[in-house]
Amino acid sequence: MTPHAQKAAIFNKDEVRTDWHDASLWMVRKKRDFAVSEIPEWEFLREFASDIKMHTLSKLDDYLELFEKAAIQNGATVHWAEDAKEHNDIVLTILNKHQAKKMVKSKSMLTEECHLNEFLERHNIEVIDSDLGERIIQMLNEPPSHIVMPAIHLKKEEIGELFHRELHTEKGATDPQYLTEAARHHLREKFHTAQVALTGVNFGIAETGEVVVCTNEGNADMGVHLTPVQIHSMGIEKLIPRRSDLAVFTRLLARSATGQPVTVFTSHHRNPKPAGEMHIILVDNGRTEQLGKPDFRSSLKCIRCGACMNTCPIYRRSGGHSYETTIPGPIGSILTPGIDLKKHGQLPFASTLCGSCTDVCPVKIDIHTQLYKWRQIVSEAGLPEAGNKTMMSIMGNGLASPTFFHRLGNIGRKLLRLFPGKERFLSFTVWTKDRDLPKAPVESFREWYAKQAKDA
Amino acid sequence: MPSKETILTKIKANRPNLWPLPDVPIFETLATDKKKLFIQILERGGSKVHCVDDSTQIHQVITTHFPENKRMVSALPFLEGIEGITTLHPDFYEGTEVAIIEGLIGVAENGALWVTENELGDVRVLPFIAQHLVMVISEKNIVGTMHEAYKKLGLPTTEGFGVFIAGPSKTADIEQSLVIGAQGARSLLVILTP
Ligand code: SF4
Repeated sequence: MTPHAQKAAIFNKDEVRTDWHDASLWMVRKKRDFAVSEIPEWEFLREFASDIKMHTLSKLDDYLELFEKAAIQNGATVHWAEDAKEHNDIVLTILNKHQAKKMVKSKSMLTEECHLNEFLERHNIEVIDSDLGERIIQMLNEPPSHIVMPAIHLKKEEIGELFHRELHTEKGATDPQYLTEAARHHLREKFHTAQVALTGVNFGIAETGEVVVCTNEGNADMGVHLTPVQIHSMGIEKLIPRRSDLAVFTRLLARSATGQPVTVFTSHHRNPKPAGEMHIILVDNGRTEQLGKPDFRSSLKCIRCGACMNTCPIYRRSGGHSYETTIPGPIGSILTPGIDLKKHGQLPFASTLCGSCTDVCPVKIDIHTQLYKWRQIVSEAGLPEAGNKTMMSIMGNGLASPTFFHRLGNIGRKLLRLFPGKERFLSFTVWTKDRDLPKAPVESFREWYAKQAKDA
Repeated sequence: MPSKETILTKIKANRPNLWPLPDVPIFETLATDKKKLFIQILERGGSKVHCVDDSTQIHQVITTHFPENKRMVSALPFLEGIEGITTLHPDFYEGTEVAIIEGLIGVAENGALWVTENELGDVRVLPFIAQHLVMVISEKNIVGTMHEAYKKLGLPTTEGFGVFIAGPSKTADIEQSLVIGAQGARSLLVILTP
């Protein structure tokens, strides 16, 4: 069993909870479908989004320089980070320069990827994740289980318990309205006392040097505008050429993510506030390598909407934590093998290859094809996750030879009649864990056909 | 080699062949009545909408919605001097209960209103820190889609910050239950003028 399958098995032990998780995500998928149905030109928009991103990737060096120039002209400071370590060092240097001990952060998958929180905490900086879901899992010391809804795996009773412990809400209180209100008060105090705010970036605009951040709660803007120093951490693939391209992406993003027609706030940050500082950190961390892989570079088009997770039958019934990656689900399974094939090479197998992810992806990444291609690479590398090789080669030979296939069928039917339980001889394969074998027919189709012909 | 050069060199070596940049058409909404759609989408997202015949009625609408003399701050010149409403000042917005600002563009397809720091009297945090938000917009400034909105916006000139606001702040982070009033404004009242 692969590590993902093992984790998924543990997740599935609580059947009611697994069903609940599955249903929560399916509800989001249905909201997405409704939102999409209101836009007749949806398929054109996906095509445009895909082309704009591919174009940007094909001239990424030019656009990054253009972006940097515009941002500097605006009054921002631009930093370049080759990897996570350099990114984290840059953040720490900015904090130290201002003798800052407290930083508020709004949701950013990039800083999760860089493990920024752990790094800063080691340097005695207090980091406060200010997005409600992020704050919840930060208090629990857990990683996010979804890129848009980080606490989707938690029940309100668990959050109520946590808030009672941490924020002194009433014992047993589970009303989301009440709990959100408690978090609001708790976090408002933090915005006023932090010296630095850090956000992720949804889109960087090359022609204007702006960074655009799409949110619902208002926490990102509270942090950015209330603290003197703002930092925006941005993966280099977040760039788009023109401001007007935002029309395409803002129309696609929220509809795909949560089924909203647009996020509540689409903030365009161009320059620092009076007497403030604005820093933009451009991060590579493996992206240029991915760019060099023709089969997999289109994964860099991803706008992190999470739609592929919400629709994935494996994700929905195994939970985000089972992937043990920063970005779980289908997109995570094609992004991470390139970073560490040994560790994540198992993930492309955590898929039914049904193609639903590809169907919903707003930027038209051929996710399931890439999953399939990663499987080939993993198999060639001889990693154990490639599945039961002996079994596969027996099957392959058997299916190629009609005589052997016929015999195998006879043996199979006999065995099934003699030992009806699957446990007897198929207990070694994960496939039969939750599936029963069919009743064995008395005769094969071939035998039946021969008899018919004789009778006629 | 400094990181910038390393990254750019790697990109040059690894980037795909030039892919053409598409010209994106200005998709318009199919809705015949943009104002109606704008109101409908705003209300669906938890906002309240009030139409007035002329701007002298704005004050009346606001006091009806916020009857207890709450701390109201406005950046609209024509509300200056009206009792109960303080003119916005960069050092004087803490504890704002109700912020009254002008929206420049309204987008019918998603109920978003564009506002820049100029309309916020340079207090960028105002629409987020206020407990309640009132946005005044002329129905002449309603466009159908985001394509039309960005066309109208063009490139930024003086403003260093601009934002589309499409309703009160919200979250569904606890069990996917929608809670209106997350960390920004708890409510949004849009006043539509002719
Ligand atoms: S791969 Fe596509 S569907 Fe999945 S998160 Fe990225 S943009 Fe969304």
